[in-house]
Amino acid sequence: MARRFDDVVELARELERRGMSRRHVLALGAKLGIAAAALTAGLEAASGAVTAAPARQGDSIFDPQAGAEGPWPQAAVPEPTEKVTLAISHAWDATFFKRQQQFDALFTERHPNIEIKAENTPFADYLQKYTAQAAGGTLPDIMYCQFAWAQQFIGQGLFQRLDDYIAGQPDFNLDDFVPPSLVSYRNEEGLYGIPYDEGPGMLYFNRDLFDKAGIAPPDDTWTLDTVKEAALKLTSGEGATKTFGLAPLPTPGAGTLAPAYLFPFGAAYVNEPEETTCRLTEPAAVEAMTWWDELRAAGAVPTPDDVRNVAWPAFQFGNIGMFLEGTWATPPIRENAKFNWEMALWPKGPQAHATFSAGSAYMITTGTENADAAWIYLNDYLSTAGQRYMWALTGRGSPARLSAWPAYLDSEFAPAGAPLAQQALTSIASHEILDKPTGPRVTQAAQAIWDEVIAGSLEVEPALQQICQAIDPILAQNAS
Amino acid sequence: MAFPSVAARVRPRPRSEAGARVKLGRQARREELAFYAFISLWIVGFLLFDAGPIVASFLVSLTNWSLLGDPTWVGGGNYQRMLDDAVFFKALRNTFYYGVGSVGLGVVTSFLLALLLNQSVRGIALFRTIFYLPAVVSGIAVAILWTNILHPDYGLLNAGLARLGIDGPGWLKSPDWSMPGLILMSLWGVGGAMVIYLAGLQSVPQHLYEAAALDGAGAWRKFRDVTIPMMSPVIFYNVVVGFITSLQGFVLILIMTDGGPANSTLVLGLYLYRNAFTFFDLGYASAIAWVLLVVIMAITALQFVAARYWVYYEADQGR
Repeated sequence: MARRFDDVVELARELERRGMSRRHVLALGAKLGIAAAALTAGLEAASGAVTAAPARQGDSIFDPQAGAEGPWPQAAVPEPTEKVTLAISHAWDATFFKRQQQFDALFTERHPNIEIKAENTPFADYLQKYTAQAAGGTLPDIMYCQFAWAQQFIGQGLFQRLDDYIAGQPDFNLDDFVPPSLVSYRNEEGLYGIPYDEGPGMLYFNRDLFDKAGIAPPDDTWTLDTVKEAALKLTSGEGATKTFGLAPLPTPGAGTLAPAYLFPFGAAYVNEPEETTCRLTEPAAVEAMTWWDELRAAGAVPTPDDVRNVAWPAFQFGNIGMFLEGTWATPPIRENAKFNWEMALWPKGPQAHATFSAGSAYMITTGTENADAAWIYLNDYLSTAGQRYMWALTGRGSPARLSAWPAYLDSEFAPAGAPLAQQALTSIASHEILDKPTGPRVTQAAQAIWDEVIAGSLEVEPALQQICQAIDPILAQNAS
Repeated sequence: MAFPSVAARVRPRPRSEAGARVKLGRQARREELAFYAFISLWIVGFLLFDAGPIVASFLVSLTNWSLLGDPTWVGGGNYQRMLDDAVFFKALRNTFYYGVGSVGLGVVTSFLLALLLNQSVRGIALFRTIFYLPAVVSGIAVAILWTNILHPDYGLLNAGLARLGIDGPGWLKSPDWSMPGLILMSLWGVGGAMVIYLAGLQSVPQHLYEAAALDGAGAWRKFRDVTIPMMSPVIFYNVVVGFITSLQGFVLILIMTDGGPANSTLVLGLYLYRNAFTFFDLGYASAIAWVLLVVIMAITALQFVAARYWVYYEADQGR
């Protein structure tokens, strides 16, 4: 059974690489309709779940006993007196889902009355699947949730407020969490999710390409001017074998644009944290976007079309010299890159030194009938011991709890630049990214206009003016 | 001709001269039962999986619903909102552009191919197979293949144009050329229509050509006055079905361009999907779906009206 499931997961990953995942969702939405999609999702939930079974060492690259010693917290709520089953949704790759199964098996040993049914869904399909399940009233007890979706879900009342559970748990220590990690899961009423990671945007660089171009690796002396010079120098060739100096393209079509690309120039995308007004027409923003656009005009950054059918992250294929991405990009790069690569701090700009940070969390759904058992699970899973077991010792990275970082830095699976990620997270990382429910509308509207800049038919400044005109009415919805 | 009209093919239950239904014999009743038994699977499937969502989607279109919470009634608000939505009208224009372009080009190309493959030459079966083969390739593979063919920097098409001294356009990267690129890509699937044309061509009675030859008709007159009229029901069928399919098309577009650049390939189906699953605006998405349905029905109805003037049904001639 486990083998068959692994095959399915592998197949899903392969389909995802080939861009088929969206088609799957489209087929659901278009052919069956909303109700049928909800029904299908419900059926999947019923049949696709995997009950926790001890994962053998041979199945996983991770030792199931590494980190198993804890110390595990004692939940303040009582253990269930009868067997309960918790359905928990994840969005892991096949390799990491095995670690998840290892954790669940150990958890069940510690809490014999709580049975775990883990549902693993490819990330690309996750949002649509669980949105459909939400409509059908078949959400699991505990849900994975990415920062970008959290406020929408919280606003719709899908998640339980966790403040009472946290207050009743004396050893929970909310201060242990990196402050930016909690931002997306709060509203004025309280906290609705417990983050497991908060990854800062780091500068991944292809060491082989750097050596070939005679460029020294990035260090403290680097500024964004140095990045630009290096990007231009690294750009070479043409056609399918072209090497790009830097990726991704700075675009208002990305919700994470501001901290790394605008803040260093004293500019901003919107007013944070309200996100009610566009600020791209301010002189500093125009200057910054013009500065970055020179790289695009020089052909040093790939356009969205260049990487559309390329598996994420495009950096792993070796034809991009520098790559700004959150630390969550490390596992696929480590797994697939056939070249030497390293990680450095995103360099400082003329006005500031900043990069973005973002992460994901787990939430307890409001419809659960086993809220206390769900809390027992979350309390274990996202405790220091849990984050060490799941994200630190595996080298997955950027645990949201500071206390789990030492184990991450010591992990044999952590990349060489891991200490720099911690430094970035505690010194230059900003969570001022578009994470309100209006985010997708804003970025879609902005990208449609920025495409004209990419096509060379619109200058940067009028484009930014058009973008602000288009997105201000959308942002205004955040004021209500 | 092997394509009688629908009216000629569907025979109502016989009636007496007074108009009363004639009582069926045992054999006829058995046939009738068998008929209902065979179509019942489809009817049950339709009622269970399609009819409910269709009705529900109309009701949803009258609400503001994020899919996550309770819907709130807005009446015709979503339809009114459409009138002020410039992106909707752009998507509508793009949908027509794609429909007219892909169907027009597809009909002409597949018909010409069918004419070509209707010749008696050695190895014709092989040629037919080769030309039909692309139609069986999965849509996703087609999308990835054509993304590369149309790539302005290293695509096969621009490389070929460069050989002719032509500086190829930006295709999918260019807001002006992305839709022509997609229309060109849609030719990949003409094999299906080509087979239908081929079957139609082989059903044109030879005696009509012989009679035309006796009357002194050359190749062009035979084509214009025999082939085209006799093939008109097939052409009509392919135009209607092609239009309905192309107006709903969005899977390949989603993969190849995601509606970009600058919304130049954003079609109604994709805009609907975006509203439903990216913006969680199910009410508005449902309203778009209903407008799309009305547009398809209107165009189909227009085609049927126009068909009276150019489609020739041999079976109707006796009436």
